[in-house]
Amino acid sequence: MFTTRRGLLVGAAVLTAAGCTRETAHIITSDADLTAALHAARTLAAASDALGFGDFAADHLTHAATLERLLRPNVVADQTGELPADAAALAAAEAAASAEAGDACLTTESDYAVLLSEIAACRAAHAAVLA
Amino acid sequence: MTVVDTGLAAEYAAIYAYSAAAVHLDGDPRWIAEELESEHRSRRDALLDYYDEHGLEAAPSLAGYDIEPIADAAAAQELLLGIEQHVTATWRAGVVTTEPHERELCLRMYGDSAVALARWRIAVGQSAADPWPGRPA
Repeated sequence: MFTTRRGLLVGAAVLTAAGCTRETAHIITSDADLTAALHAARTLAAASDALGFGDFAADHLTHAATLERLLRPNVVADQTGELPADAAALAAAEAAASAEAGDACLTTESDYAVLLSEIAACRAAHAAVLA
Repeated sequence: MTVVDTGLAAEYAAIYAYSAAAVHLDGDPRWIAEELESEHRSRRDALLDYYDEHGLEAAPSLAGYDIEPIADAAAAQELLLGIEQHVTATWRAGVVTTEPHERELCLRMYGDSAVALARWRIAVGQSAADPWPGRPA
């Protein structure tokens, strides 16, 4: 097939373009801390909206949009479970999610410590206002 | 100057500002301002404990801080809103440190200051919502 130098070069280019090379494939894994923060943001957004705290829901949707962008090309499926039933339960959920993001801020080895702290601080403020 | 030094300086300035501004306020803003001033004093004390525990020397507060003249309640509210935003931004910036004890302290102070900022916003009739407390605009 590759009887000439030109043929060899063309063949190599075709094989490379077709992805038929021995280049190592890299599996892109989701950042576990960002994924957990995204799940919580979606749940809190849905709960805040359902309970009439639209401005807090908007905060969580902003977090979710940022986290989804940072996690690309991975797409994290919705996992929204049972939502808090009242303001007190929502305050408790906000406090728990704040603690989770805060813990992640302290242990992460990624560059997202400040982002996680911002999310934790926002949720702490929500929890205090709702309590 | 460490991130904790910077945060302590912000807390000193906040205490000074509250002392000057609270007398211009009445009603809910007055008692919330007094509560928040007390929180800043508690945070200052916790920071001084941190310095003691780590064998560090804390800078003293200054005799005075530059603040705008306070003509009325509206000016006092505006001043304290700026103070809470500044303190929150200072602690948020401190979280970037890679020293574990400092990061843990800054994270705790950042969360507390974000709560104080939200409370003061409500006290002056604003929404407490803010997805990124203390993030520079």
